[in-house]
Amino acid sequence: MAHAETAHHAEATTTGLNHRKLLMWIFLGSDCMLFGALIATYMVYRGQSIVGPYPVDILNIPVTTISTFVLLCSSFAMVQALAATNRNNQRGIKIWLLATALLGFTFLGFQVYEFYTFSVVEGLFIGTNLFGSTFFTLTGFHGAHVTLGVVWLVSLFIVAFKGRLGPSTALDVELAGLYWHFVDIVWIVIFTLVYLIGGYDAGPVAAGVLTGPIPSVLPV
Amino acid sequence: MATTTGVLARPTSYSGVWSWLTTVDHKRIGVLYGATAFIFLLIAGLEAGVLRAQLARPNSTIVDGQTFNAMFTMHATTMIFMAIMPMSVAFFNFVVPLAIGARDVAFPRLNAFSYWVFLFGALLMHTSFLVGQIPDAGWFSYANLTSRTFSPEAGLDFWAIGLLVMGASSVAGALNFTVTIINMRAPGMSLWRMPVFIWMTLLTSILLVLAFPVITVGLIELTMDRNFGTNFFNTSAGGDPVLWQHLFWVFGHPEVYILILPAMGIVSEILPTFSKKPLFGYPVVIFSGIVIAIMGWAVWSHHMFTVGLGPVANSVFTITTMLIAVPTGVKIFNWIGTMWGGSLEFKTPMLFAIGFIALFIVGGLSGVSHAVSPSDFQQQDTYYIVAHIHYVLFGGSIFGIFAGIYYWFPKLTNRMLGEGLGKWHFWLMFIGMNITFFPMHFAGLDGMPRRIYTYPVGYGWEVYNLLSSLGYVLLFVGFVMFVHNIFHSLKKGQVAGHDPWDAPTLEWSISSPPPEYNFAEIPHVRGLDHYWIVKREARAAGQPVPGPEPHAAPGSVHMPSPSYWPLVTAFGVVWIGGGMLIDVGWDYIKFPISFVGGLIAFIGVVGWANEPASAPDAHHGGHEAGHGAAH
Amino acid sequence: MGFLPFRSRNVTDGTPGSFRQVSRPGLSRVPPLALLAAMAVLALLVACSPQSNMSTWETFGPVARGQLHLFNVLLWVMVVVFVLVEGILLYAIIRYRRRPGQPLPHQTHGNMPLEIAWTIIPTILVLAVGGWSVATLFRLDQPPASAGKPLEVVVTGHQWWWEFEYPDADGAGKVISTANELRVPVNRPINITLHSDDVIHSFWVPKLAGKMDVIPTRSNKMWFQADATGTYYGQCAELCGVIHALMKFRVQVLTNAEYDTWVAGYGKAPQLSADALKGQAVFQGAGTCTVCHTASGVDNPAVVDGRVAGFNSGGAIAPGPNLTDLATRTSFAAGTVEPLNPDNLRKWINNPNDLKPSTHMAGRAKALYPDGSTKVTLSDVQVSDLVAYLMSLK
Ligand code: HEA
Ligand code: HEA
Ligand code: HEC
Ligand code: CUA
Ligand SMILES: [Cu+2]
Repeated sequence: MAHAETAHHAEATTTGLNHRKLLMWIFLGSDCMLFGALIATYMVYRGQSIVGPYPVDILNIPVTTISTFVLLCSSFAMVQALAATNRNNQRGIKIWLLATALLGFTFLGFQVYEFYTFSVVEGLFIGTNLFGSTFFTLTGFHGAHVTLGVVWLVSLFIVAFKGRLGPSTALDVELAGLYWHFVDIVWIVIFTLVYLIGGYDAGPVAAGVLTGPIPSVLPV
Repeated sequence: MATTTGVLARPTSYSGVWSWLTTVDHKRIGVLYGATAFIFLLIAGLEAGVLRAQLARPNSTIVDGQTFNAMFTMHATTMIFMAIMPMSVAFFNFVVPLAIGARDVAFPRLNAFSYWVFLFGALLMHTSFLVGQIPDAGWFSYANLTSRTFSPEAGLDFWAIGLLVMGASSVAGALNFTVTIINMRAPGMSLWRMPVFIWMTLLTSILLVLAFPVITVGLIELTMDRNFGTNFFNTSAGGDPVLWQHLFWVFGHPEVYILILPAMGIVSEILPTFSKKPLFGYPVVIFSGIVIAIMGWAVWSHHMFTVGLGPVANSVFTITTMLIAVPTGVKIFNWIGTMWGGSLEFKTPMLFAIGFIALFIVGGLSGVSHAVSPSDFQQQDTYYIVAHIHYVLFGGSIFGIFAGIYYWFPKLTNRMLGEGLGKWHFWLMFIGMNITFFPMHFAGLDGMPRRIYTYPVGYGWEVYNLLSSLGYVLLFVGFVMFVHNIFHSLKKGQVAGHDPWDAPTLEWSISSPPPEYNFAEIPHVRGLDHYWIVKREARAAGQPVPGPEPHAAPGSVHMPSPSYWPLVTAFGVVWIGGGMLIDVGWDYIKFPISFVGGLIAFIGVVGWANEPASAPDAHHGGHEAGHGAAH
Repeated sequence: MGFLPFRSRNVTDGTPGSFRQVSRPGLSRVPPLALLAAMAVLALLVACSPQSNMSTWETFGPVARGQLHLFNVLLWVMVVVFVLVEGILLYAIIRYRRRPGQPLPHQTHGNMPLEIAWTIIPTILVLAVGGWSVATLFRLDQPPASAGKPLEVVVTGHQWWWEFEYPDADGAGKVISTANELRVPVNRPINITLHSDDVIHSFWVPKLAGKMDVIPTRSNKMWFQADATGTYYGQCAELCGVIHALMKFRVQVLTNAEYDTWVAGYGKAPQLSADALKGQAVFQGAGTCTVCHTASGVDNPAVVDGRVAGFNSGGAIAPGPNLTDLATRTSFAAGTVEPLNPDNLRKWINNPNDLKPSTHMAGRAKALYPDGSTKVTLSDVQVSDLVAYLMSLK
C-alpha cells in the first residue's frame, strides 16, 4: 500500500523488523494455507470426474508454459524494480514497475484466453464436472491474487511518477515484491501439479475415494 | 488522492458516538469487542434456553424440529464465533499493549477494521432471523445436507457468508496481535519475560492466521456449490462429502485451542497474583502451550472416527489425540504447583480461575475418553460429547473469561466489581453448570443422541434432561446477577486505584483507567513479574511503592488519530458478502451488487493508505513516536 | 443396575451359552475414596432411571462388549486421575488459604524433576491405553474367521427411514428387501454395508455395536453379532435434516428357525380378504401408493433409482419403505409408531404428519396430501380397505 510521508522515520521495534514487513510475512503464511487447502481439494478430486472433458482433453501445456515463463520474468522485473528503488534510479523504478505490471497483465491475458477456450470453445464450465469446479476455482483464486498484485503495482507506478519512491520508501516496493514473488511461487506449484503432473489425466480413475454407488444424477 | 486529508475530513471528536465509531484506541476497541461479544453470549444463552425448555420433558412440542435445529446451530455458532472468540480478542485488545508496555497495537486502524468487520458480519448472519431462514445444519454443517437440494432455504448462505466475513476479521486481528507482540515490547521484555497471557495470545493468533484460511476455502466451496453450481460436495457428480469434514476439522480442532488458550493465559496471570507466588514452571507452561499449538494440527480426524477412515487412520489419530493430554496436564500441574505453598486469597477472579481448573479437568478427561476410538464409536454424536463440549468451553473458556473480567475490570474502569455479588455469581455458575452438564454424560452413555429435538418416554433419559434444564435456571440467575453487578459497579463500585490486587504485570503500574497513551514514559522491563520486582525492592528499601507516573504533558506523546476509513472499508467488505445473499431469483445479480461493496472497500483502502496514521494536528500534537504505534 | 460401569445385567433370555458377563475391572485397585465418591454421584443420578433401550452399558454382542470393556478400564483410569488431581487441588485450596498476618510465601519458580515426572507418567499412561485401543480397534474391525460365514446386509439410509437389503438371505441366493426392522439370526456375524442416496446418516444400535456413518458415494462396512434374541433399538446418529430425531429402527434378533421361516415366507403372495383385495386396487390405483412403495417383493433397481432421482430433483415422489412384509413388523415409520395395528395405520394414511411430523410421504405425495398436512384425499372406505390390505402383507 502506498504510504504517505509522515511515516518515514525508522521504527524502533523490538526485533528491528519493520511492522509492515512482519505483517506481510505472516500474511503470506496465512495465504499459504489458503492455497494449500485449494490445492488439496484439487488433488483429492484428481481423476474423480464422472463426465468429461478431462484435463487431457483440454489443457494446453505449451501455451501455459509460455504464460508461466512470462510470470517468471515478471519476478525478475520486480527484483530490478526494488534494486532501482534502493539505488534511487527514478527512471529504473518506473520502467521496472511498469514492466512487472505489464508482464503480470500479460499472464492474466493468457488466463482469460485459457478460461475462454476451455469454457466457450471446449465446453468445460465451473459446474460441468469436478475437474471444472476445482480447476477454475484454484486457478481463479490465483488469478485474483495476480489481479490484486497488478493493481498494487500500478498504484506504485503512479506514486513513482510523482517521484515519491526512493530509498526511504523502498519498503513500499519491497512489500509489493514479497507478495508478487509469493504469487509467482504458488503458480509454479500449481503449474507443476495441475499441468505437468495432472495434465494427462483422462477419465475416472478406478481406485479413488469413491467406493459406493453414486446417487442418481440431478437434472440441473 | 495524495492529499493528506483525503475525501473525508479527519474526525476530530474525542467523545460521543462519533468518537466510538472512529476510534483507533486499543482500549476502546477492546470495550467495543467485549460489549458486543457479551450481548451475543446472552443471545446464544437464550437460544440454549429454548433447547433446554424443549428437552426438559419427553415428547414435548414447544418447538418443532426445524426451530430446534436452528436453535442449536445458532447457539453454537454464536457462542463460538461471536461470543468466546471476540471476548478473547477483547482481552487481547485491552491487555496486550498494556502488559507489554506499548502505546497501542502495531496497526491501530487495522484493529478498528477488525472490529467493524466482526460486528457487521455477526449482524449479517443474524439477519437470517429477520428473513426467517435460519441456519440449521449444526455448527459444523456437514455436507451434503448443506446442498441446495437438501437445504433449499438461504439459511446456510447466511451461515457461510457470515463466517467468511467474520473470518476476515479474525485473521486481520490475529495478524495485528502477532506483529504487536513480536515487535512492540518495551525494552527489556524479552520473549522469556513475557507474561503467559501474552504468550498464549501470540500462539492463539498464529493458530488463527493459519487455521482460518482452511475453513475459508471450505466455506467458499460451499457457497459456490449453493450459488454457482459447482460440484465440490455434489455427490451426484462424484463430489465427496467427507472432504468438507476434513476441511472443517483441520480448522476446527486448532479452533478449540483458539478458544481455550486465551483462557489458560488469563488463569496463568490470576493464579500467581492471588497466591502471592510467581507462576510455577513458567518456561514449561509456555513450552507446553507451544506443543499444544503444534500438536493441535495433528489430531483433527478424532472428530471423524465413525466416518469409516479405517483402523489405521483411526489408530494414528487415537494416539496423537491422547498425547495432547500430556502438555495440557502439565499446565494443570503447574497451576496447582503455583498455588502450592502460596498464600491464597479467594477474591472472585481467583474463584473463577480455580473453577476453571476444576472443571477443565473433567472436560479434558472425557476428551481423552473420546480419543479412544473404539469407545468413541459408542460416544460420538451423543450427549456424552455435548457434556465434553460444555465442560471445556463453559467450564474452561467461559470461566477463564469471567475470571479475566473480574480481574481487569478495575483497570478498565477504576471501579471494583462487587465481591458479594461476584461470589454469588461464581457459586451459581459452578453449581449450575455441574447440574446442567454433568448428567449429560449419563444421558449420552445411555444412548441419547445429540441434536434430537424430541425423545420418547422409556429410554431412561428423562431424569438427566430434567436436571439439565433445572441447572439452566441457576445459570440464568447467575448471568442476571453478573449483568446487574456490572451496571451497579460502574456507578457505585468501590474505587479501585491503580493496583488493587498487588499484581505483578506492567499494566498495574499505570493509572486506572489508563491514559490514552498508556505509558507517559515507556518502562524498562527488569524481569518476569516486573512490577513485583519494583514494588518489592521499594518495600525492602523502605521507600514508597512507585505508583503511576504523572500524566504526560500535553503534546509530548504522539498518538494515532481517529479515522473513518476502517469503518468505511469494513462496510464495503461486508457489503460484498451481503450482496451474495441478495435473492431476487436471478443469481448473477449478486455480482454487480457485491461489486458496489468492493468499490466501497476499495475507496476505503485508498483513503486509508493516503491518510497518515497521525494527523499533523493530532490533539496531543508534538512529535517523537517512540514505542507508539506507527501505522 | 445395568448403568454402573462395573456391573452388567445377567442376560438369560438368549440362547444358552452365548452370553459372557462383562468383565469387572479390578475394583480392589481403586482407592476406596474414589469409589465412594464416584458411586455416590452415579447412584444419585441414576437411581431413578430403571430402563434404557439404548444404553451402552448393556451389551449383547462381541463388538459392543469389546468397546465397553475398553471404556470401563479407561473410566477407572479417569476416575483415579480425577480424584487425585482434584484432591490435590482441594488440599492446596484449604491448606494454603491466606491467614491474617501471613508473610510473603516462599517464592519458588519451578522444579525440574517434578516437571519431568508429571510429563513422563501421563505419557506412559496414555500410551498404554492408546496401545490397547489400537489393538481393540484392529481386533474388532472384522468378524473373526472362527465365527462362521457372516450374513451380508446392505443398509441404505433415507431421509428419514432405513432400507435393508439381503443380497443372499438364505445362502441360496434369495434377495430380500425390507425396511425399518432388521431381522437377523442370533449368534451369527452380520456384515453391514452402508449406503446413502441422500445425505449422511449414521447407523447405530448401541447394545450391539458402535455407530458407523452412512455416507453417499461411499460404502462403509461394519459388523456385529447378537448373543441373545430379542428387540434392540437403533437410531440414526448423524444430523440428517428436520426429523433426524425420528429416524429410528429396530433390530429383531431371531432364532435360526424363526429367521429361516421369515426368509422362506418373504415375497409369497399374501392371502387377501375381500376388503383387502379392494385395498390392493386402491394401493395400485387411486392411492398412487406404488409411485413410492413396492409391496410385492424386491424392487426393480431401475424403479428405485427413478424414485431417488425424482426425489432429489424435488418431484412428487420419494423412495418409500418396501411394504412386502409390513404386517410382520412390530412398529413402523422408522420405529416411531408402535404397535403396528389397523388403528395406527389408519391414522398414518389419513395424515402421516400426525404421527411423524415432516415426513416426505406427506410432503411429497401431492395428490394425497395437497398442502402437505391435510387429511388424505381418499375416502374413509378406501382408507379402511387400504388398511385391510396392508395388514395382510405378511
Ligand atoms: C475449548 C475447547 C476444547 C478443548 C480444550 C478440548 C480438548 C480436548 N478434546 Fe475436545 N472437543 C471440543 C472442544 C474442546 N476439546 C468440541 C467443541 C468438540 C465437539 C465438536 C462437535 O462435534 O460439535 C470436541 C470433541 C472432541 C472429540 C470428538 C468426539 C466425537 O465427536 O466423537 C474428541 C475425540 O478425541 C475430543 C478430544 C479432546 C481431547 C483429548 C482434548 C484434550 O486437549 C484434553 C486434555 C486435558 C486433560 C486430559 C485434562 C487435564 C490433564 C491431566 C489432569 C493430566 C492427566 C491426564 C491423563 C493422564 C489422561 N474432543
Ligand atoms: C462456548 C460455547 C458454548 C457455551 C458457553 C454453551 C452454553 C450452553 N449450552 Fe451449548 N453448545 C455448544 C457450545 C456452547 N454452549 C456447542 C459447540 C454445541 C454443539 C452444537 C451442535 O451440535 O451443532 C452446543 C450444544 C448444546 C446442546 C445440545 C443440542 C443438541 O445436540 O441437540 C445443549 C442442550 O442442552 C446446549 C446447552 C447449553 C446450555 C444450557 C448452556 C448454558 O451454559 C448457557 C448459559 C447462558 C445463559 C443462561 C444466558 C442467560 C441470558 C440472560 C441472562 C439474558 C438476559 C437478558 C437480558 C439481560 C437482555 N448446548
Ligand atoms: C411420495 C411418496 C409416497 C407415497 C405416494 C406414499 N408413500 Fe407411504 N411412505 C413414503 C415414505 C417416504 C415413507 C417413510 C416415512 C418415514 O418413516 O419417514 C412412507 C412410509 C409408509 C409406511 C410405513 C412403512 C414402514 O415400514 O415404516 C406405510 C405403511 C405407508 N407409507 C403406506 C402408504 C400408503 C398406503 C400409500 C398410498 C395411499 C402411501 N404410503 C403413499 C412415501 C410415500
Ligand atoms: Cu438420518 Cu439422522
Ligand atoms: Cu478436536
